[in-house]
Amino acid sequence: MNARAVFQINDLNLHYGEKQALFDISMEIPRNQVTALIGPSGCGKSTLLRSLNRMNDLIDGCHIDGQVRYEEEDVYAKTYDVIELRTKVGMVFQKPNPFPMSIFDNVAYGPRCQGIKDKKVLADIVKKALENAALYDEVKDRLKESGNALSGGQQQRLCIARAIAMNPDVILMDEPTSALDPIATAKIEDLIQDLKKDYTIVIVTHNMQQAARISDNTAFFLMGELVEFDKTDLIFSQPRDQRTEDYITGRFG
Amino acid sequence: MNHAKRHRKDFMIRIGIGIVSSIGLFVLIAIFAFVFQKGSSLLSWQLLTGDYYSTTYDSYYDGTLPSAGFERPSSLDDSVYYSSVWGIGLQDDLDAEGKPYILIVYVDPNSPLTSLPDKNTEGETVQIASGQTLGKVIFSNRTIVLTSNGAQSAIQLFDGADGILDLLTTTRGKGIRGSIITTLYLIGLTLVIALPIGVFSAVYLHEYAPKNSKLAEALRRLVEMLTGVPSIIFGLLGAAVFIPFTSTITAADGGNLFSGALTLAVIVLPVIISSTEESLKVIPDEYRQASLALGATKTQTTFRVVLKAAIPGILSAVLLSVGRIIGESAALIYAVGTAIKDHIILTERSTSLAVHIWSIMAGETPNFELASAISIIILIVVFVLNLIVKLVARRLSRA
Repeated sequence: MNARAVFQINDLNLHYGEKQALFDISMEIPRNQVTALIGPSGCGKSTLLRSLNRMNDLIDGCHIDGQVRYEEEDVYAKTYDVIELRTKVGMVFQKPNPFPMSIFDNVAYGPRCQGIKDKKVLADIVKKALENAALYDEVKDRLKESGNALSGGQQQRLCIARAIAMNPDVILMDEPTSALDPIATAKIEDLIQDLKKDYTIVIVTHNMQQAARISDNTAFFLMGELVEFDKTDLIFSQPRDQRTEDYITGRFG
Repeated sequence: MNHAKRHRKDFMIRIGIGIVSSIGLFVLIAIFAFVFQKGSSLLSWQLLTGDYYSTTYDSYYDGTLPSAGFERPSSLDDSVYYSSVWGIGLQDDLDAEGKPYILIVYVDPNSPLTSLPDKNTEGETVQIASGQTLGKVIFSNRTIVLTSNGAQSAIQLFDGADGILDLLTTTRGKGIRGSIITTLYLIGLTLVIALPIGVFSAVYLHEYAPKNSKLAEALRRLVEMLTGVPSIIFGLLGAAVFIPFTSTITAADGGNLFSGALTLAVIVLPVIISSTEESLKVIPDEYRQASLALGATKTQTTFRVVLKAAIPGILSAVLLSVGRIIGESAALIYAVGTAIKDHIILTERSTSLAVHIWSIMAGETPNFELASAISIIILIVVFVLNLIVKLVARRLSRA
């Protein structure tokens, strides 16, 4: 196994009840890089993302065969601690979903759940996370206000800050800009570029330009199959598979 | 021709619907109007804070009076007649049945009237105080105060006398303080019992029970059924189960506030479970997912995010329950009793406001005025509670 890989996925098959959503997926997610998962709606890219931190567990009738190895360990093994996994693999959702509490409490939520109570330590964590999420300057005077009072773009950066506050190794992003306007989207994209120094990022996106702009590697999915996975510039300049070429040139999707 | 007929028919039906709905409206308004018209004259601070039972004191005074007398305090209203010899202020007033009486509105703190020997019990003293009603007074110069002659004539007689052979005063009764306190106790005790059970049941049903769980479904059916059971049946349960139960673990002997609270807890439990579950249903699943994705456990997610967000819904469940507790009467007749009390002891019988109405109406001389006054208080409290529930619900739907 490649030592640079954070996740190693081997022959992953996933069923929702009778319906198979992923077919024999095998890929490696490289460390400290941005990996984009692209493909048309229903191609399984979000499903794959959610199987990395086992959020699919929450869906009734979801059944998984094969392996997802995080830092060499099979996360679907019976003895694996899923809570531990999720503290190391953070997630940002499609729709900004801050908790109905203050900005401070939103960011401090994860650390508090880990049992950190010291106010000074929490304040430090919150400040650092908000700084890293490029939100601190905008909200430093109103940390006690509700997270829901922020704009959509700010809410999404708050959610990123909330994930960063856990000091994870990986951040999974499920179409994080699809609900945002172009300016807010640009800010998040800049942020992702900054974050990749410290974190491995896996991002699902609908937007091929976005994948081309921000990712180092791109995986193209179609109907539950991984069609092609390579360096982003190769995927977009000289795709090996005809279906990939058809998709990125806009012939379907 | 057919056209005109249809128009006529339509017109007639509209008139009919109008008449029928105004009958309904009229009946509702009439109830309110009746209660307010009957009871509003009794509404006063004294009604809320006073004793229900009046006591009559019988005393006398054979000492000497200070020659300086007692100065009339400037705070007294002009309608008050004041005797500077005795230091007492009297006022004419009308009771609930419209009969005149003389009300003591002021007694000088240094007046001998503040401590008179009790004629009924040797060695005891009687304190004449504002709020008491002046009854018959026989002075040592053989003049006699008649209440029907009013306060002015009474004061003249007071001023002309230097000793009292017989003084009858009565504390004003018909206050409902005791029943208010009982009601407050019942609200507090019932919520302490029912709220945790109800909220945790709802949390189990909505957050923990597996989907299509038979147990959860059975629990839901039971809750639905319990909301339709007449409360007198819960009262029987209280009498058959909770009174013996509380009698064994407390000093109680018969109906008491604990058995009442347990009975009421059973009654409000379905309300709390179903409205808490409703409020959990509207908590977006995104909150739960975000929390779990941050490495929080299921319990942390439930308590720190979901229940916190559901607080407005739980609050409205509490308010609905309080309304139900205040309005409940049938179940409490068994479980707490029908004895109106002034001094409330948790392990003894007493009446809530609603049962107080029942008690005074079931007696030999029903007191419509007092019953209506209590009804007004209950109506106002329930009305305010409903308003708050609406406001909370609106805030909840906006969030």
